[in-house]
Amino acid sequence: MPTADRTRSVAWHVVLIGVILMMTFPVLWGILTSFKPANDIYSLTPFSAQPTLDHYVHALTAWPVGLLLGNTFVMAAGVVIGQVLIAILGAFALAYFAPRYRNLVLTLLTISLAIPPQALIIPQFLMTAKLGWLNTDVGLIVPQLGSSALAVLLLLQHVDGLPGSLLNAARLDGARPLEVLWSIVLPALRPAIAAVSILVFITTWNEYLWPLLVAPRQIDTTVQIGLRQFETAEGTNFGGLLAAATLTSLPILIVYLVASRRITDAFLQSGLK
Amino acid sequence: MTLSTLAGDIQLVGLTKTYGSATALDAIDLHIPAGSLTVIVGPSGCGKSTLLRVLSGLETASTGGLLLGGAPLTDQRAGDRDVAMVFQDYALYPHMSVAANLSFGLRLQARHDRRNGPSTAEITRRVADVAGLLGLDALLERKPAQLSGGQRQRVALGRAIIRRPQVLLLDEPLSALDSQLRASARAEILRLHREIGATLVLVTHDQHEALSMATHLVVMDAGRVAQSGTAEELFHRPATEFVATFVGSPAMNLQPEQTGDGRVGWRATDATVLPDVRHPAAVPASGDLVVSGTTELCEFTGDGQQVLVRNDERSFTITQHEGDSWLRPGEPMHAIIPASRLHHFDSNGHRRHAS
Repeated sequence: MPTADRTRSVAWHVVLIGVILMMTFPVLWGILTSFKPANDIYSLTPFSAQPTLDHYVHALTAWPVGLLLGNTFVMAAGVVIGQVLIAILGAFALAYFAPRYRNLVLTLLTISLAIPPQALIIPQFLMTAKLGWLNTDVGLIVPQLGSSALAVLLLLQHVDGLPGSLLNAARLDGARPLEVLWSIVLPALRPAIAAVSILVFITTWNEYLWPLLVAPRQIDTTVQIGLRQFETAEGTNFGGLLAAATLTSLPILIVYLVASRRITDAFLQSGLK
Repeated sequence: MTLSTLAGDIQLVGLTKTYGSATALDAIDLHIPAGSLTVIVGPSGCGKSTLLRVLSGLETASTGGLLLGGAPLTDQRAGDRDVAMVFQDYALYPHMSVAANLSFGLRLQARHDRRNGPSTAEITRRVADVAGLLGLDALLERKPAQLSGGQRQRVALGRAIIRRPQVLLLDEPLSALDSQLRASARAEILRLHREIGATLVLVTHDQHEALSMATHLVVMDAGRVAQSGTAEELFHRPATEFVATFVGSPAMNLQPEQTGDGRVGWRATDATVLPDVRHPAAVPASGDLVVSGTTELCEFTGDGQQVLVRNDERSFTITQHEGDSWLRPGEPMHAIIPASRLHHFDSNGHRRHAS
């Protein structure tokens, strides 16, 4: 390799490694701190002389980790199922029937992506409250289906990418629209649906604001909100908080390990984050 | 116009298809005889593919009527019509085996109509029949990705004929195949046409393919039918200058009439090269055409040569056969075309009735 190329490549790697360190440092520091005894929490040495599992024991016993994980999982799974269902039917209808107002719908969907969720949160909260859905799984799930636009647009790209002759051949074979969807489109879309599901799952799992508003009670809420229990009037129990945060990251970490390739693709395709 | 009620007989009456302000099909009146192998040919954008899509029901006509076997078809859903189609890219279902591709339509029929639809045993039997007819027996468990181009085409044909349609539409069926496979695929389509007895409507932009396969040939131009009839009729008595130049290769030579009104055309093969203008045979009979110029380009075609000749006004092509004394580039050339071989067109490009 010529020296100029080599220098460039080394320079790039230094930059990349620097960025990666910057992004992972808080996470790593949090994990390391979760093993420090309480009196060492604020020390600047990364490794404690007396590492301890006390905080984990505390998080697993005094904190309802199973309940919170269960709640979060129900919410995330519900939102994934709902959004993916809406996305499949919506994308298929827009692609297959190509209605006159298709472009209007696409414009509206795109606009809805541009509206910050915080701007809608008060009316959404009021409606949810009026429906009596506060502190329920339904309240956690259904309003979040309103942000299906990205899923619809992502899947639409894939349905549009299918050869038109494939859908027409099925039509001429006598398939009704839902049969075309079920027999031809869904099998071809499986990888895309997996990618969108993972994307929605991770986004929902990390959702903070909505569960905080709708289900603030410890027994109804998600892990992200449950972590607030470690902030007490006497101050924050950072050891317990960080141990619990580490524990609650594990499910997402496992999803990553199983499907890292697909997740990278999903995020790259969505053009986000 | 007589209306036929024969199964597979297609009648188009004033059929028009517009997309916004663009007219794809402009008041088409056309009869496609039952059991024919009708080839629709024309340059790209002439509306031939749109016509096929309207016949299939994938598109609906803007105005006008469409009759199949004497019964109006205009409002019948695609898939409920007794019409099947083979797509240019074959459009095989990629995740299904060959057997599943073939049986898809029948399985849907069975699901939609449990009483009269085909039974499982019937479906199995018909898949076996079609596989036998097209030599697909050994491939039934394969996926489309594991097939060659020719095999894919046979699967696409099989999927189309398994429901025993009255009409089989083929959209550029040979364009995706390399030239060696084309001849055998063409023979396959002709054989299939003989064996299933359906009306075949084939769309192509290749006039060679059109002339060689058609029992009924339709030339389209700019959304209209320029001429329809047998290949011989269209070749020997083209109705317009467009048909004259589009059908046959090389294209018909055209030049202004000596009277100055309209144009006269002649085919490259109909010119006889003369050794000398003063040669006795060169004395033209009344109405014969004599052309001369300088030989510019000679292309060897195997059984002869195609010669491009240029004079002060225009250039034209003539064909020489084996045994003729061959022209060489740069040589002067004189040729005679007998009156009976000339095609006369009026100033609108229409054939003069006397000729």
